[in-house]
Amino acid sequence: MSAATSTPKNAANATGTLERRRVPVRRRLQRGSAPWLLLAPGLVTLAVLLLWPLVRVLNLSIQDYRLRNLIRGDSNYTGLTNYREILSDPFLWGTVLPNTVGFAIVCVVLTMVVGIVVALFLNSLGTWWRSICTTAIMVAWAVPAITGTYVFVWLFDPLNGLVASTLDQLGIMEAGSWNWFANRWAFYAIATANVVYHGFPFIAVTVLAGLGTVPKELYEAAALDGAGPLSRFRSVTIPGIRPILAVCIILSTIWDFKVFTQIYLMPGGNGTNRDVMNLGVWSYSESFAQGLYGRGSAIAVLLTLLLLVISVIYMRSLMKEDEL
Amino acid sequence: MSTAPADRTAPAGPVGPAPTAAERTAQRAAIRRRSPRRIVTAAGKAVGVVLVLVFSLFPFYWMLSTAVDPNPLGRGASWLPTGFTLKNFRFVLVDAGFLDYVKNSAIVALGTVLISGAIALLAAVAVARFRFRLRTQVLILVLLVQMVPLEALVIPLFLQARNLHLLNSMLGLIIVYLAFSLPFAIWNLRGFVAAVPKELEEAAYVDGANWLRMFRSILFPLVAPGLVATSVFSFITAWNEFIFALTFMQDSSKYTVGVGLRSFFTQNTANWGAVMAASTIIALPVVIFFVLVQRNLASGLTQGAVKG
Repeated sequence: MSAATSTPKNAANATGTLERRRVPVRRRLQRGSAPWLLLAPGLVTLAVLLLWPLVRVLNLSIQDYRLRNLIRGDSNYTGLTNYREILSDPFLWGTVLPNTVGFAIVCVVLTMVVGIVVALFLNSLGTWWRSICTTAIMVAWAVPAITGTYVFVWLFDPLNGLVASTLDQLGIMEAGSWNWFANRWAFYAIATANVVYHGFPFIAVTVLAGLGTVPKELYEAAALDGAGPLSRFRSVTIPGIRPILAVCIILSTIWDFKVFTQIYLMPGGNGTNRDVMNLGVWSYSESFAQGLYGRGSAIAVLLTLLLLVISVIYMRSLMKEDEL
Repeated sequence: MSTAPADRTAPAGPVGPAPTAAERTAQRAAIRRRSPRRIVTAAGKAVGVVLVLVFSLFPFYWMLSTAVDPNPLGRGASWLPTGFTLKNFRFVLVDAGFLDYVKNSAIVALGTVLISGAIALLAAVAVARFRFRLRTQVLILVLLVQMVPLEALVIPLFLQARNLHLLNSMLGLIIVYLAFSLPFAIWNLRGFVAAVPKELEEAAYVDGANWLRMFRSILFPLVAPGLVATSVFSFITAWNEFIFALTFMQDSSKYTVGVGLRSFFTQNTANWGAVMAASTIIALPVVIFFVLVQRNLASGLTQGAVKG
């Protein structure tokens, strides 16, 4: 009973007497400091590891911070010079931003479409086949980004890979005659296949779970009203799984905007081929290959702001659902 | 209409070779809703199943079959390996010292799992069980921090770790990985905690248990499956992480598996047999873990998404 005897004190000076009185024990627990004590380790860790570095990256982004500053431990504030240079760089507008935004949009759309189609298909299967397919999809989900990327690089190896060999055998293209990784469009087509392959299982499994929560009476009512399969999908399924779709779109948008590993590990993706750089790789290579930590930080800030804007837009639509 | 689907869909028929038809029909009758079913013929479904299986499994199959191929570069367009050998695995584990990287990764991943599991469980209980001021704000914060891009933090965290002499250290990597496994772990566990009936907790209080006692005897055992699923996810996050491992671990004896994998590439060529053997070693535990906890994880995700 030690907790019960210590909580009234906290309850008294916490939220006051406005709350409804139902179960006394629970009420006392619901007020005091208990939740904050439980939250403290998590919040402190997140503050130290996420919020403080965010402050630090903002601070670095307004400095010309290089290796020598790192060694000497001094600072070198230059105001908004980094941002001015980056935002006036045609490389940002012509290469990096299209690579980041265009790629993310294509990936999100394809991932959602494939994921939803697979989920609807799985939902129509019997238990046995559904669990077999779900397990197979789980394998696709589980394959780590690192190894998955290498498998795709190997599949598309210009000289010995399966795709080049198959095209060679069909007489379409001689193996080794064209290095697709050197071409921006081919590079991103392969990256898209890789990211969609890796991302669709999450959507499929989550949407499948969501489909199970739509009351079947709604479908029956719609069918009685003469709704065909397509309009049932539009008027019953989509509204029924809207909150889940919103979560799926938010998460895959965020994931696809900050894709790093899948690009970095492809041939030329680590910054050696500037045509295929995205924001993440650009920031990384400016910092760790060029030693321009300030400039790299400014790019990182821009990426974060981009994500923040998207997140806020989506969060607002999610909050309307009152799901939290 | 309400009884029709079960009858109507039974003849929708066998998809591929069935174990026993009667058993399957019984299982199918147990499924309640199946509206898209009528428009999809049995043949279409069979094709669909094959497509899903091939699309999902082919890259994995290609990795495995290259790993056991004695001559992967001479394989050409053949879907089958040219032979069977384990020499790629022997080369990777014995000659190339990949086992050390596996050990490093395992230590880092287990450290992350234990610490983030403990912290996340406490936080999940707080947001799922207590109604307090700023609760919604805390939840939004947990969601928002998942949106912070890794790349944005690698520079400040690298500089910080360098100052604290945590580069080339397992502990440094474990601490950093907490940032990436915690928000998801809290979010996910919250669904599992919320699913435990409050009445059980109240019964414990009525029996005179204090909060700690109730936590130990009621909540923790019931949330344990969710904790396992969350731990697996944290393990996978840490095991798969690349960018921080690449930046922090500059001494090759401290490489994790992801960074160590790069050592099989030379300037322009790759030893694909070795790369795929090492990839198999990385991917296999993850795939097995993942498939084992799939149901828990999926239900946790949706609960996290739709329940409060």
